[in-house]
Amino acid sequence: MPDFDSAFRALADPTRRRIIELVAHRGMTAGDIASHFRTTRPAVSQHLTVLRNAELLSERREGRTRIYQANPKTVDEVVQHLQSFWSGRLQVLKRQAEREERQQRDRQ
Amino acid sequence: MTDSEPVNLEIMIEASPETVFEFFVDPGLMRTWMGDHAVLEPRVGGSFAVDIGNNHVRGSFVDLQPPERVVFTWGWEGSDIVPPGSSTVTFIFEAREGGTLVRLIHSDLPTGEDFRHTQGWNHYLGRLTKAAIGDDPGPDPLEVGQGMHDQPTGES
Repeated sequence: MPDFDSAFRALADPTRRRIIELVAHRGMTAGDIASHFRTTRPAVSQHLTVLRNAELLSERREGRTRIYQANPKTVDEVVQHLQSFWSGRLQVLKRQAEREERQQRDRQ
Repeated sequence: MTDSEPVNLEIMIEASPETVFEFFVDPGLMRTWMGDHAVLEPRVGGSFAVDIGNNHVRGSFVDLQPPERVVFTWGWEGSDIVPPGSSTVTFIFEAREGGTLVRLIHSDLPTGEDFRHTQGWNHYLGRLTKAAIGDDPGPDPLEVGQGMHDQPTGES
């Protein structure tokens, strides 16, 4: 379950929102990202850390460079939640339908 | 209809397909296993609406073949990721010795991989941004998992 509080706090900052937009569809290095801003490179690094901690950004290594990209994992969590939601519902459906069937049989 | 669908489950129920089918088209029976309020219009194009706590499932019936099969669309009111009607739920009821094999396929759901290549991320980002600057983004589809812990009404 993603921590939505930290995601909201992370996105309250316009620079961080802009970073997520930049890396929504492709990976970029910290240097590429920093070149889009007037702020210093360490300031950009700090923003990247905040976004990573909020699980909005994923980091992977390619050789000696680190590539940052927006993290679509949250969406997969919808699928996981539905999976457990449905398996819980099916158990209840089973109990209820079996009970209904017994009651119908008793009425006959 | 393959195992590659994101949600694919089956369960054996010791009741006839006719009995099980009714739990999908009768609002009173629906409430015994899912949600606390249901509006069901069991005809093609008819409404499939189930409220599960604060999560409002909205869709419509796509196919009804009693007692073998029911198909409806599924989404949440106010959700950008799975908006009303955007995904498809298929239930297949196969008569077996001693009961019914129920198969569930929930398809057309976004997955992280598709999402990266579509507008989905931008919608989701918009939703988070709204919340970050203090607007109510509407019901959160991820909260649906909490529905699992609800006790169905009418249970003894």
